[in-house]
Amino acid sequence: MLNGCLRNNATSQEALYSHFSPKMLGICYRFAKNREDAEDMLQEGFIKVFTQIHQYRNEGALEGWIRRIVVHTCINILKKNKKFSDSVDITNANSIRIREEMIPSIIQAKQVVECIRSLPLGYKTVLNLYAIEGYSHKEIALMLDIEESTSRSQYTRAKAMLEEILIRKKIIQKPKKKIKFYGAVSPS
Amino acid sequence: MDNDFYTGEFEQLLKEKTDLFRMFPSKRVWHSIYNNLHPSRRWPSVIMSLLLMSSLSFIGYLNTGVNNSNGHTTLAITNNPNAINNQETAENKNIFFSARKTQKQTIVNYNTSFADVITNETDFLTYTIVKNNRPNYIYNTTAVKEFTKLVSNKNAEQNSSKNFEQAVDNYIKSNKNFADIAVTNKRQYAKNKKRRSQIINSNELSTVNIESSLITTTDKIVSTKVENSNFDLNDISKEDKNTIAKIDIIEDKNRLKNDEKVWIENYALQNKLAGKKWKQHLAFQIYVTPAVNYRKLTTESRGSTTAFATADINNVISQKPGFGIEAGASINYAFANRMQLKTGLQLNYTNYNIDADQTNHPIITTILLNDPNTGYSYSAARTSTTSNVFNSGALQPVTLHNRTYQISLPIALAYKLSSENNVDWFVGISAQPTYVFGGNAHLISTDLKSYVSDPSSISTWNLNFGFETYMNFKMRSYNLQVGPQVRYQVYSTYRKYLALIEKPYAVGLKFGLTKGF
Repeated sequence: MLNGCLRNNATSQEALYSHFSPKMLGICYRFAKNREDAEDMLQEGFIKVFTQIHQYRNEGALEGWIRRIVVHTCINILKKNKKFSDSVDITNANSIRIREEMIPSIIQAKQVVECIRSLPLGYKTVLNLYAIEGYSHKEIALMLDIEESTSRSQYTRAKAMLEEILIRKKIIQKPKKKIKFYGAVSPS
Repeated sequence: MDNDFYTGEFEQLLKEKTDLFRMFPSKRVWHSIYNNLHPSRRWPSVIMSLLLMSSLSFIGYLNTGVNNSNGHTTLAITNNPNAINNQETAENKNIFFSARKTQKQTIVNYNTSFADVITNETDFLTYTIVKNNRPNYIYNTTAVKEFTKLVSNKNAEQNSSKNFEQAVDNYIKSNKNFADIAVTNKRQYAKNKKRRSQIINSNELSTVNIESSLITTTDKIVSTKVENSNFDLNDISKEDKNTIAKIDIIEDKNRLKNDEKVWIENYALQNKLAGKKWKQHLAFQIYVTPAVNYRKLTTESRGSTTAFATADINNVISQKPGFGIEAGASINYAFANRMQLKTGLQLNYTNYNIDADQTNHPIITTILLNDPNTGYSYSAARTSTTSNVFNSGALQPVTLHNRTYQISLPIALAYKLSSENNVDWFVGISAQPTYVFGGNAHLISTDLKSYVSDPSSISTWNLNFGFETYMNFKMRSYNLQVGPQVRYQVYSTYRKYLALIEKPYAVGLKFGLTKGF
């Protein structure tokens, strides 16, 4: 399949696309505003994958390589469309409330994805990149043209907001607070 | 999952859950990717689509009888009790207008496949008449009988159905009475943009216009009653009217959305990333071709017995190929997977060397010219300062340069023969209309003993053909092209009145540097 793609063979390309596109579309969907935008991102991403596939050096999983390209494509599209920079509510998103109806209750995976998607654009982007894609705050800062500290703070807020949503939707349980003891006095 | 969460593994949980998430993209995405990666293979699908669309349009045009542009279907009912009775459903004695049922049962629908539409501007602005495929029962109705009476005076042969139709048509064309016929007021419709059922009820023949969209989409209108076929707008209850109006609006919106959707899908499918593709297929190239110039001399004379006319001119001149160069810039457009179209501007310098002997003083000599009127050759006097050294030694050897300076507009096609890793092999041909803006010509005299310098004899316009094959090396952001090229001049370097014909050709090595936009 990979060799076929290297030879620009359409059948191999379709096979590769069919194999990875559902998962990659799921990734795009987490970044995108809607399904159409996600499909556009996927399309751009796979065009890059096929045109740059000769750069893949068989180091690491192909899926990881494709995933990185797709994620970068998503970020580039968001930046290009100024959707990201416009909504650098990233710094003001505290006041944004999540509408309950935005979160459909379907299956768990989709529920979690939809909960992430319901976050403000800045929040969800940072959260997607850090918590799910595994980028460091430094890398995220470079990708999004923001300060590293901003990335950290936005992630903290995004995480808190997501937790709240997940708890409210009863997808997770509120963690029990541990009782912390200060000083020398022991409860026993 | 309700219990499997704890804060410390928040990221892990998110990753696990989101990794399970899959979505299946629509086919449009793959089509767009495919078209982007294989632009040449898009042509068959585009052609097929165009053919299909043309066929559908043509069939649609042939099958359109009634005013179908606004989605109306003209239905006709009669008040003939027999006809009505036959069409009654078992459930109800009344006639029901049913979207899916009554089209066949209670309402006679003109088959628009064979309909012939006559459109005229009248008081009704526009009306359409379904002429052909009228149901037989229509000829038995009271309305028709009355109508026949009306028409019969004008046509004595109205007994047969065919003649009757003709009579009706003639009658209609005479613009006397249109209320008997299905009328669709298109202009009114366009003005108001109100989609509602148009019901025209005459005493003799009733016609009903019903929105085709309503017929196909709603069952609520099904209950619209027509009692004893004396159907009237008043018979429709207020509720029904409201329902119709609401559905009209909803349908209108839906239809627009659907239309838009179809259009967008088609557009996206055929034109996805058109702008980018267009850019991706373009490349800018600069190139230079050092070449060795050769030439072939012939003569074209009539009625001349001079040495010039009788000898093989190539064998009586001491000459050597010269060094020339071509340089230019072009835009390359990859219009297919393996094909490229190139055009640009090219500067050419051609040169050919002749060994001669410099004379100390000018001598009078002649060159052979052709009379354009008679076609016969004649000798014209010229002066010369150089002599031919063929078969003789030179006292003051000198090299004469037959040079031209040209600017040409090459239009080239290149075909990729093979591609391996980062190297492509191309062959190409080009046609190069050429403008010669300078140079020098040394012409052999009629007696083959001297050379005459005559730059004015160089033809201003010419045409060259080129053939090349080259290897294209893909580098980081540039492509390097290297390969041999042959360039052949189609017409003589000299003007037509000269008996001497020179057709040079150049063999060179082309170096090109290409960069995409």
